[in-house]
Amino acid sequence: MKTIYSAPAARFAEGRRRKVKTADVIRMAVLLIGTVAMLYPLLWVITIALKGNNDIFTTTPQWFPKEFHFDNFIKGTDQIHFWRTFRNSLFISIVSTIGQVLSSVVVGYGLSRLRFPGRRLWFSCFIGSLMLPGFVGMVPVFHLFSTIGWYNTWLPLIVPSYLGNPTFTFLFIQFLSTIPKSFDEAAKMDGAGDRQILWRILVPMSLPVVITIVIFAFNGSWNQYLEPLIYLVDQNKWTLSVALASFASNWTTQWNYFMAADLIYMLPMLLIFFLGQKYFMQGLGSVNSAGLK
Amino acid sequence: MISASSRKKDYWGWVKGYLHISPSIIGFGVFVAYPLIMSVYYALTDWNGYSKPKYVGFDNFNYLFTIDPAFWKAIRITFYYVLINVPASLIFGLLLAMLLNRKLPAIKFFRTAFYLPTVLPMIATLTLWKFIYHPQYGLANRILNLFGAGPLDWLSNERLALVSVIIAGLWQIGGGMIIFLSGLQSVPQDLYEAAEMDGARGWLVFRNVTLPLITPILFLQLILGIIGSFQSFAQVQVMTGGGPNYATLLLNFKIYSDVFGQKMFGYGIAEVWILFLIIMVFTLITYKYSNQFVHYENDNR
Repeated sequence: MKTIYSAPAARFAEGRRRKVKTADVIRMAVLLIGTVAMLYPLLWVITIALKGNNDIFTTTPQWFPKEFHFDNFIKGTDQIHFWRTFRNSLFISIVSTIGQVLSSVVVGYGLSRLRFPGRRLWFSCFIGSLMLPGFVGMVPVFHLFSTIGWYNTWLPLIVPSYLGNPTFTFLFIQFLSTIPKSFDEAAKMDGAGDRQILWRILVPMSLPVVITIVIFAFNGSWNQYLEPLIYLVDQNKWTLSVALASFASNWTTQWNYFMAADLIYMLPMLLIFFLGQKYFMQGLGSVNSAGLK
Repeated sequence: MISASSRKKDYWGWVKGYLHISPSIIGFGVFVAYPLIMSVYYALTDWNGYSKPKYVGFDNFNYLFTIDPAFWKAIRITFYYVLINVPASLIFGLLLAMLLNRKLPAIKFFRTAFYLPTVLPMIATLTLWKFIYHPQYGLANRILNLFGAGPLDWLSNERLALVSVIIAGLWQIGGGMIIFLSGLQSVPQDLYEAAEMDGARGWLVFRNVTLPLITPILFLQLILGIIGSFQSFAQVQVMTGGGPNYATLLLNFKIYSDVFGQKMFGYGIAEVWILFLIIMVFTLITYKYSNQFVHYENDNR
């Protein structure tokens, strides 16, 4: 389409380009300042995590550690049974993630590929439940789970993951609708049952969305705060979120230990982010808009 | 004529379908239907969570509106919070996205840097900000000090605490930014070229080309922002505990402390209904008013 530009227009564009350059310099400056503001708090965590305790509480700030105390990562984590808590969080997150993926995939397949009466009604119920704010169910569900003896256990953090997450289900359905039904039918002709069609054909074909679900499910579980806070009283059973929130208020003298522990808590998320950046950034829009489309 | 075998097949398809969606049916029952139905009753009871709920009619609501000293304060604080937080994150998120939607050197690095804080666990960042706001050794006051500005009581000053909580939240601006960015990138390039041919620049292009095309995303973010902000809880639970002097007592946090701190289950559920109602009203109002502004591409068929 470039050919329709007349000569004056091209010259005009040229002039614009030079002007844009000064604007770009300003933009770069703003971005640089913003980036420093965004990243500096993280850098601050790292420097404190490496400092000796006395070097933190100085009247004149010390922007870089004088000497590096890598032992903070060991001493700090020792003192608060960090690794036990870390294992708790890891276990809960992995088991929940498996549940989220399994249930969303199976329910999504049922809703989009199988034909049965009431399908549309249930579909609208599940999608409608996305609009219900999370806190509405909190108290009755808490009472229900406590009555059946789930208080102070991990079950309230894990079992719900196996009961279908509407957002992830919807995400999977959306992707399934882009896969032609002829794939199912061809497989059926070859004698494949529903299980084979789903796990051998459809899931491998929708791997990007499944990975997105894995990342967001793990992320959600790793971040989960309210549920562990209200269900877990026993410190042995705590997850990292509850443990760190509690240490932050009680543990005000050993900032270096706290920051070291906080950094390790962030680490898995950072790792996932850098490994799966593509899915992270793409998935986000779809996860977010799944609610209202 | 339906043969026996096809009827059997129908029956089997029915069973198969329901088997597949049974997890979600149970989930819907346990997390949506059951709590909604029970909440209607629990809201009308005096109940500590252990003993049998005692029916008291509208006493909870009566106490809520007329006696509870913290309730109206919590409502006011929650409104302030939503009315500052939602526009601030929308505006800054959009500005940032526009800034990052350019062919600049190292643009990928900038996008990653601004997005990075949002991938960190919420509690990790909230506890971090608690330290940043520390009056003596926190990062915030040390930086103010560099510019010769006096130390602030970020979290212990009644008038500042809520703003501090909101500022900490703006660290996560990247979440909205990335969504706006994808919206901006889907605006067809030839529209900009056409606008430029017509001599439109800067603000005019934004006002007449960009803005109308991203209104659906803007609207979605607005609704999600309102719903999310009304439910904010961990921010104040971790950073301020609702204080000082209730200055950051968000309604959802008040519900949490009434239920799990004071063991007032029935009362807490009554408050849940109020918050739920407020969210619904706000969502409906937003929905109604934005219909006039939101531009959907397939509207002018």
